[in-house]
Amino acid sequence: MFSIAKLSFKETLYKRIFLIALLMTIAFLIFFGVANHYASKELEEQLSFLGGDIGQLLMEKSMFATQILSIGLFFANFITILLTTLSTVGSVSGEIESHQIDTILARPIKRRDLILGKFIGLGSLLVLYSLFIFGGVILMNKLFGGALTITLSFEQFVKAGSLFLTLPLITAALGLWLSTRLTTINGGIIMIVLFGISFIGGFMEQFGALMKNVALQNIGILSSLVYPIDALLRRMTVMLFDVADSPLSFAAKGLFGTVAMPSNAMLIYSFLYGALLLFLAVRKFSKRDV
Amino acid sequence: MSDLVIQTWNLTKQYDGRAGCKNITLEVPRGVVFGFIGPNGAGKSTFVRTMLGLIHPTSGRAEMMGRPIGDIDTKRKIGYLPELFRYQDWLTGRQLLETHAELAGVPRHLRKKRVDDLIERVGMAGRADGKIRKFSKGMQQRIGLACALISDPDLIFLDEPTSALDPIGRREVRDLMSELKREGKTVFLNSHLLSEVETICDHVAIIHKSELVVQGEWRKLTEAQTRVQIRAAGLTKGILNSLDGLIRAWEPVDSSAEDNTQRFLLQLSGDDQIPELVNLFSQRGVMLYELVPIQPHLEDVFLHWVNRKEQEHVLNRQTVI
Repeated sequence: MFSIAKLSFKETLYKRIFLIALLMTIAFLIFFGVANHYASKELEEQLSFLGGDIGQLLMEKSMFATQILSIGLFFANFITILLTTLSTVGSVSGEIESHQIDTILARPIKRRDLILGKFIGLGSLLVLYSLFIFGGVILMNKLFGGALTITLSFEQFVKAGSLFLTLPLITAALGLWLSTRLTTINGGIIMIVLFGISFIGGFMEQFGALMKNVALQNIGILSSLVYPIDALLRRMTVMLFDVADSPLSFAAKGLFGTVAMPSNAMLIYSFLYGALLLFLAVRKFSKRDV
Repeated sequence: MSDLVIQTWNLTKQYDGRAGCKNITLEVPRGVVFGFIGPNGAGKSTFVRTMLGLIHPTSGRAEMMGRPIGDIDTKRKIGYLPELFRYQDWLTGRQLLETHAELAGVPRHLRKKRVDDLIERVGMAGRADGKIRKFSKGMQQRIGLACALISDPDLIFLDEPTSALDPIGRREVRDLMSELKREGKTVFLNSHLLSEVETICDHVAIIHKSELVVQGEWRKLTEAQTRVQIRAAGLTKGILNSLDGLIRAWEPVDSSAEDNTQRFLLQLSGDDQIPELVNLFSQRGVMLYELVPIQPHLEDVFLHWVNRKEQEHVLNRQTVI
């Protein structure tokens, strides 16, 4: 299993997928830092002028701060999920299509170990990448956020970060499952569409909560059941922005805010969802011809 | 330990009820180069892929080295060069061998030497550190061959191993197979190149339209059609027809006006009938100048059995109608 994990890890590195992703991520982080800098500069000028209502300005500051960081994390998640999709959806089907898998399976390796090895290999790399981009976004906000800097406790950072790191793992399980059943192109289309459904469903759920519209909320819940990525991301933002000693929850504001917080049951469901997909991937691959 | 490394009982793999291989009952002795021959699309690769556990049989069963197919421990003793040799082309040749050594469970302390030796053995010395994607097809096939041998296997499946090689490369691979045989290993050679199989194989199995036609030592399979070429004087059509219990078929080849002799090609039931034939010719006053047994070629054997199978199919169809 660990030989396969090592091979998958090496493949992603050797093919320079991660090098390109890392370079583009650095470019994104620089861009995000510059945006933070100019946004905070403007706000600081307004605060120093004290021309307006100071209370209103402080409220606006809080909202802008959470929104800017949320946008950064939303995009970080987008890149991570996309990278996970690209690296997992063809990891089995692509090798079957090219017959690269033939000589591997002729070795004394259980098919179960091949899938689990790929999950471990790709998953560990994706977790490292997620940690890099999550930490990078927070760091940019710290370094260049100025007045828009979000103050986080270490505990908040660890809790939210841990949840952020599970997102690519759940997606990798989905990618591997699809990869054992479908061609690379079909699996890729399904994953991208599911990703879209998850986020649109998430927005619908938040609008539904604001408008007290049950139908919209149910659409959101349904989309989370199909692919719980958006629910996990929103839960992560709640963990990140909810300050214990503040009577206000900054996480509930704006387009990327979370009015209807995903429950603990949804958290458990998401983990079971990932585990089940991994189990189904192993089962399907054990039975299929290559 | 059994003398058979491969044994199958009605092994069948069908795709939607068609093609693949059907009811293959095969026995491969230990320590031979076994030729598995048949036209393109006959089901040769399907059989090999089933044996290796890449595809699951529809019915029947099979054993390799006394264990059911798919057995993990057995796979440690097996090497495989696929027909469609595609490897992780982002690796170098050496890295590929190191990876497969690890996957095959070769002890760490043996790996480097094993890799170096095999690179040398397949003629890739000095070229194995390049990326596989930059290798020519012939180089890829050579490194694939090294990959098949990395675990020092007892049984090696080679599926069309010389398809991308030039004549020198083909010769080298044939020599390598002979060496493996001398080392006591069994080579299962899957090929449609009959001349190649004829040179190095003693045992063959012929597969045609998914079904096994015949198996055994191929030179013995020619007994059914021992052929001799004779040059004789005084041999008439009447004499030849009178010996129809002995001569299964005959045809004139040419005649010489100078010494009044004529050449014929005769087909007998077996080699043991040659002395009797000479005796009968003598009794009938035929002057026999020359008798040359025609060395059989695998191609003749192959065509004989395939045609026979075809005729059986035609007869079966007629019976059904």
